[in-house]
Amino acid sequence: MLKIWSMKQKQQQDEAASAGTKKKKVTAAQLRVQKDLSELSLGSTMKTNFPNPDDILNFELTIEPDEGMYRGGSFVFTFKINQNFPHDPPKVKCTQKIYHPNIDLEGNVCLNILREDWKPVLNLNAVIVGLQFLFLEPNASDPLNKEAAEDLKVNREGFKRNVRTALGGGSVKGESYERVLKK
Amino acid sequence: MKVTFKSWNAVAFWRWDMPADDVCGICRNPYESTCSKCKYPGDDCPLLVGDCNHSFHMHCIFSWLRQESSQEKCPMCRQRMSFNGLPRCLIQEV
Repeated sequence: MLKIWSMKQKQQQDEAASAGTKKKKVTAAQLRVQKDLSELSLGSTMKTNFPNPDDILNFELTIEPDEGMYRGGSFVFTFKINQNFPHDPPKVKCTQKIYHPNIDLEGNVCLNILREDWKPVLNLNAVIVGLQFLFLEPNASDPLNKEAAEDLKVNREGFKRNVRTALGGGSVKGESYERVLKK
Repeated sequence: MKVTFKSWNAVAFWRWDMPADDVCGICRNPYESTCSKCKYPGDDCPLLVGDCNHSFHMHCIFSWLRQESSQEKCPMCRQRMSFNGLPRCLIQEV
C-alpha cells in the first residue's frame, strides 16, 4: 500500500543516473551567497560590482566614507568566496595601497570576523559593516601597518594629516600611497 | 445503514516542532526545508538541537564542527557544542 519509500528510492536512483549528464549544479556556497547578497544593505556609501556576472563568488565592493578621517576616499575591495562558504570566511583584500593601521601595504585586512572570529552564522553584510567601521574607527591595537598604528596612538592629529596626505597620493614617512580620492 | 470498507488509504502530515518561519543560521534555508546539499526534507536531513538550545540542520552543524576553526563551538553563542551532554564525535551522523 505505502509505496512512498520505494518511490523515493527509485527517484534517487534516477537522479544518480542522470547526474552525470545534467548541467552543473548550483552549489551550497552559491545558494548561501545569493541569499546574503539579496539581504545586503549597502546604503549610499557602498556599492558592489560583479566583473563576471555569472560568478557571484568573486566581486568587488567600493566604500566611499561620508564621515570620519577617511571621508572623500574611494576604497575598492575584492571578495573571493570559496566553495566551503559559509564555513570559511570570504577572502577580502583592498586593491589599493592605502595608509591605515588595520590594512597593510599589500591590501590584507585585519578584521577579526575575517579570521579567528568568523562563524557560519555571520553573513556578507556583517563583513561589509565591519569594513565600513574600520574607516570610521581605525583601531591602533592589533595593527597590520604598525607605523600607522603608532602614529594614531601617539599623535591623533598628526595621523589625521597623514591620512589626508596619503588619500591624495602623497607619501608618508618615505612610503608613497595611491591617490584614492573620489572623482 | 450498514457500511463496509473495501479498502482505505491513510494519509499523514508531519512537521518539525519548530517555529515555521525560522531558518537554519548556517545555510539560511528554512528548518522545514533541507540543507543546501540535500533534496528531501525529513529523516534524510534532520535537525539537531544543541544543549545551548541552538538548532541547525545536522549536515550544516556537523560540517562546521568537523572543521578545526570551529573549535567545536556553537556558531551562535560560541559555547562548546554538545548534544544531550555528548560531544559531536560520539554522535553518529545520518
